[in-house]
Amino acid sequence: MSENNVTAPVKRHMGLKTSRALSNTAIYALLICISVIWLIPFVCILLQSFRVELKGPVGYVLPKQWGFDNYIALFKTDFPRWYVNTFVSALITAVLQTIIVLCMSYTLSRFRFKMRKPLMRFMLILGMFPGMLTMIILYRVLSDLGLTQENAVPGLILVYIASSGMGYYVSKGFFDTIPKSLDEAARVDGATRFQVLKKIILPLSKPIVIYTILTAFMGPWGDYVFAQYISFGTSSGMNVAVGMYRWLNHDQISSSYTMFCAGGVLVAIPVTALFLCLQKYYVEGVTGGAVKG
Amino acid sequence: MKKFLVLLLAAMMVFSMFTTASASSLAGTYDITVWVANEIVDLTKAQIEEFNNTNEMGIKFNATIEAVSEADAATQMITDVAAGGDIFCFAQDQFARLVQAGALAKLGARAGETVGAANSAGVVAAATAGDTLYAYPLTADNGYFMYYDKTVIPEEHIDSLEAIIADCEAAQKYFAFEMQTSAWYLASFFFATGCVSEWTMDEAGKEFVSVRDTFNSPEGLIAVKGMKKLVDSPFHLSSSQASEFSSGAAVVVTGTWSYTAVQEILGENMGVADLPSFEVDGQSYHIGSFNGCKLMGVKPQVDAVKAAALHQLAQYLTGEKCQLERFEKHAWGPSNLNAQASDAVQANPGLVALNAQAPYSLPQGQIHGSWWDIAKVIGDDVKAAKDEAGLQAALDNYYNKIAALFTMTAEEKNAWGVIGSINGDVWTIDLPMTNTDGVWVTDEAYAMEAGVEFKVRQGKAWDNAFPADNFKVEAAGTYKVQFTEATGAVELIAQ
Amino acid sequence: MKKYTDLEFLKLSKGKKFLYKITRFFCSIPQKILGIFVALWNLIKKIAFAVKDEAADIFSTFVHGDWKTKVSFLVMGFGNLARGQILRGLLFLLFEGVFIAYMVLAGGYWMSMLPSLGKVGPEEKYDFILDTYYTVYNDNSFKILLYGVLTIFFIIAFIYTWRVNIRQNKMAEKILASGKKLKSGKDDMRSLVDDQFHKTLMSLPLTGILIFTVMPIVFMILVAFTNYDGAHDGYYSNLFGWVGMDNFNTMLNWNVNSGGSVQSYAATFGEVLAWTLMWAFFATFTNYFLGMFVAMAINKKGINLKKLWRTVLVMTIAIPQFISLLYVSKMFAKNGIINGFLMNMGWIEQALPFWEDPTWARITVIITNIWIGIPYLMLITTGILMNIPSDLYESARIDGANPWQQYTKITLPYMLFVTGPYLLTSFTGNMNNFNVIYLLTGGAPTNPAASSAAGTVGYTDLLITWLFKITQGAESQYYLASVVGILVFVVVALISLVVYNVLPSIKNEEDFQ
Repeated sequence: MSENNVTAPVKRHMGLKTSRALSNTAIYALLICISVIWLIPFVCILLQSFRVELKGPVGYVLPKQWGFDNYIALFKTDFPRWYVNTFVSALITAVLQTIIVLCMSYTLSRFRFKMRKPLMRFMLILGMFPGMLTMIILYRVLSDLGLTQENAVPGLILVYIASSGMGYYVSKGFFDTIPKSLDEAARVDGATRFQVLKKIILPLSKPIVIYTILTAFMGPWGDYVFAQYISFGTSSGMNVAVGMYRWLNHDQISSSYTMFCAGGVLVAIPVTALFLCLQKYYVEGVTGGAVKG
Repeated sequence: MKKFLVLLLAAMMVFSMFTTASASSLAGTYDITVWVANEIVDLTKAQIEEFNNTNEMGIKFNATIEAVSEADAATQMITDVAAGGDIFCFAQDQFARLVQAGALAKLGARAGETVGAANSAGVVAAATAGDTLYAYPLTADNGYFMYYDKTVIPEEHIDSLEAIIADCEAAQKYFAFEMQTSAWYLASFFFATGCVSEWTMDEAGKEFVSVRDTFNSPEGLIAVKGMKKLVDSPFHLSSSQASEFSSGAAVVVTGTWSYTAVQEILGENMGVADLPSFEVDGQSYHIGSFNGCKLMGVKPQVDAVKAAALHQLAQYLTGEKCQLERFEKHAWGPSNLNAQASDAVQANPGLVALNAQAPYSLPQGQIHGSWWDIAKVIGDDVKAAKDEAGLQAALDNYYNKIAALFTMTAEEKNAWGVIGSINGDVWTIDLPMTNTDGVWVTDEAYAMEAGVEFKVRQGKAWDNAFPADNFKVEAAGTYKVQFTEATGAVELIAQ
Repeated sequence: MKKYTDLEFLKLSKGKKFLYKITRFFCSIPQKILGIFVALWNLIKKIAFAVKDEAADIFSTFVHGDWKTKVSFLVMGFGNLARGQILRGLLFLLFEGVFIAYMVLAGGYWMSMLPSLGKVGPEEKYDFILDTYYTVYNDNSFKILLYGVLTIFFIIAFIYTWRVNIRQNKMAEKILASGKKLKSGKDDMRSLVDDQFHKTLMSLPLTGILIFTVMPIVFMILVAFTNYDGAHDGYYSNLFGWVGMDNFNTMLNWNVNSGGSVQSYAATFGEVLAWTLMWAFFATFTNYFLGMFVAMAINKKGINLKKLWRTVLVMTIAIPQFISLLYVSKMFAKNGIINGFLMNMGWIEQALPFWEDPTWARITVIITNIWIGIPYLMLITTGILMNIPSDLYESARIDGANPWQQYTKITLPYMLFVTGPYLLTSFTGNMNNFNVIYLLTGGAPTNPAASSAAGTVGYTDLLITWLFKITQGAESQYYLASVVGILVFVVVALISLVVYNVLPSIKNEEDFQ
């Protein structure tokens, strides 16, 4: 993806040049404006995390006393445990969910079988039910299986991946853009469907695979409502969102708010880093797929 | 037979009191989960350890202690009792919900007596439903008063709401009083003018049967006029968090639990006082408050032995010694009478302010769980009101919602019942009837004397009642009552 | 409404054309809804005939089949075993064995309890010696409903498998009669990675969806017909039972509370729905157009540091919402830093009511949502913009089109065509956008007229957050939440159906290949 090929090269006239310079200056001003607005909350969170003098929320931004106290304090709580929980579930979810989503979308894109259309329609309809409600039932099922509270991590992973087959849209859209003639040529040469997938489709699908891994990995970091159900008050089974959210409770906010900010910074680091590295694939995946719905 | 049973019961109770067999039979190791507020996790751990080492019954607890705030505990327990803590702490307003959800185990007779005698009366009432204790009082300091910044509010102004608001506005500082999101704080204005909301439970302590609520009254109107002065101020903040002092507040109404946090922020400038008075039509009203407590509950157990052991622990944790420890370490105001009497407790500045507020506060008692949701809306309603009619509408709105809690289902409204002097009753109970194709017959047969009178009425109301004059029983006997809806005919069926 | 012919239509002026299209669309809605019912009726008829045919086929298979087939009616897989298809036969037999064992050991009990949802509730007992109350728990309505539903699923699966078993016998007879050979277990295995590869690929995802999505949804729908709430949790407090349509009556009745100023649930539902739709509309389209605009600005020729601009924006995607949104929510508070800043600068006298005033709060959530949404849209549209053939622009420029004309004639139509389906999914997605509302306002400010019995409803509450509040409210009315959930489904389904019938690009999925 090269950066400059959106508008085609045109013959240069002097008039055009000045008007372009003018409009570009306006755009620069706008972009700087936007960047500032977009960055303010993050900068504030970062600054608050270094505040030492008061641990509650305050009305000013710049700390009067700087230090790493909040980060040190984090490690005296269960935060490392929550962090590991979240990281592990994000990692496993990323792997398994990617496999499932790719299986599903590849099938729906490449195979023509009797139940294909009804199945897609059925999944579309299922997606219209508010998932919020089914949480209480899933919670009970998991608690019957013993996958709640201190065993919340496997329970969470199970739920994250179990229904992930429904999120096939984007990657199906991507597979749809790979010409079918490739498969057919290979099939004529005697390859099985499995070999076609392995040898031809997958190598072409790097952007969508990375896109799927990335979105699957990011999901568990922000999940609050369901993770809160599953961990059910047991600290050792919480993820970062559930654990840290409690620091904002009435009885803890004045002693833990800066710690919350510090935790937030630590949570944001891996996800942001990963995202920035893989941004290119994200764009390719999403444009190849999402637009097709 | 009945008498024999009672005798047997009494005998067994006496027996159990004299025997130590019961105590030693509790010996064993139990794995339990305890939910307490984050603040006292470490202290509770030490206290349970202490209990393990000192109890003479041979009970050992292998306890997992989780930090679950008193606000969350009830919601969690109700979602899934099985996964909840075996012992958990909660604020008093959650009590009725928890009893209804079957999440609280009753105290045994002896434990009930001990707890009842050791704690202050209001606190004991808070843990009682019907005539049974369902929980152990943990603190008695769940009330609120005023913290203020001495540099903004001069001491001579602290008695007047209007003066404080004026000071705040002049200094562009906020007055934090949680009026829009909490019925607990909001009720204070109503208590100032003598309004009450008193709820009555049935004997089993499971359902609310009636309410005496005078919020919608001339006094209530005065209260909301006072409230309007506050919520209309651009510098009113609906919050009760100590940290507001570090983001522009000069006054925060909150409780003893904020003491350390406020002190850290304001230092020497911290002022503590009872709530101010507001003035309506030339008369002054001192703002009231709720006087509540925190409770510790034991989850119902399948195993009687474990249940007994847990009750022993809960009793220990809420006893004088543990309450004093909690006071010393975290300034939690004790509910235990002996602990309350100690000099240190008497001298604690937070508790002193609470005591100054005490004459204007009401014990919280048992309140319907939905009341908190219904009443907290008044704040927003009052803020939106444009004139006195609007304020009155806010109260009407509130009153209608309270009344709707006791409305009957359509089925109950349509059902017919017999009311009269049957069974020695004096026209108070509607005897239930069952419908078969428009013919209603009482579920049971009743022995009736000659001369007994009754009527058949619909939906426990007199709008539809038959016969026009009371039905008179002419000959004594055991009868069922039959009522034909189409004709309105009332007949007796001899059994 | 007059219907124009193609020729007449082409003669109309531009504005009239548009008007005509819109009117035609709305006029056709009743017809379309009618069409749905007709289609439903046809479906029912089709199913009835299919069942009849199946029954006839089963019967004739039994009558005309050989003894191996006849035994297979009782012992599944017997025919396969007898004809040498050992693998298939064993699998059938195993399935039958598991099914019978399950039904005898557990399934029978759950099914028998399903009509009543339990008979004996919990009992409190008193131990005299220990002076302690303890509880004996009995039937569990929740589990009865849950496992009852699972058992029904299992029975359906069994009937289907049994039918397949019979059909296979019939086929096998036919194949053998024509002198061909039956497939061996090895052939079966091979076909699973080749012509039956889709079955292999989908078996795992579909099982997951069945157990963790379909089953809970069926359960949720059933809960709407019970009185499951905090005081009737089915095990610890009281049993719950079937109540028929009562909950729907409560929710859809406009006059539930006699006393004047209290809103009925139906009125509250109407208000929340109206705001939900409004929110979804603004959240979708503000993001869409502003996101596209930002993408175009960044991609404009001559703008440097493209990567940097993108990276800054993308941060909002990468940082979990529970951190960023909670912080933003505090920034807008009455004593938050935004009000503080404005007051310090002397621009305002008193704090702006970002979260206190209903209209302000609604606008603030929409604006905050732009902050979250633009980066996604920026990424998506960047790619699409690059795909627009550049010669289109070139020829437009040669024709003397200004940038605005280029945008309305080339960019926008192209974008709308390509992203039509995305707009629909993001519209329905926004209707159920729990996180943004819950973390930003929690629904505040409260709507005083709405009934509080089901949790307090606020002006920024969406149906989905209201539903959540109902389950968390004082009475934990799960049954009411289920009713709301079903209604949400109905609304979303209706919207999607209408849009699907209008949008051309969704129907033709092959267009892009």
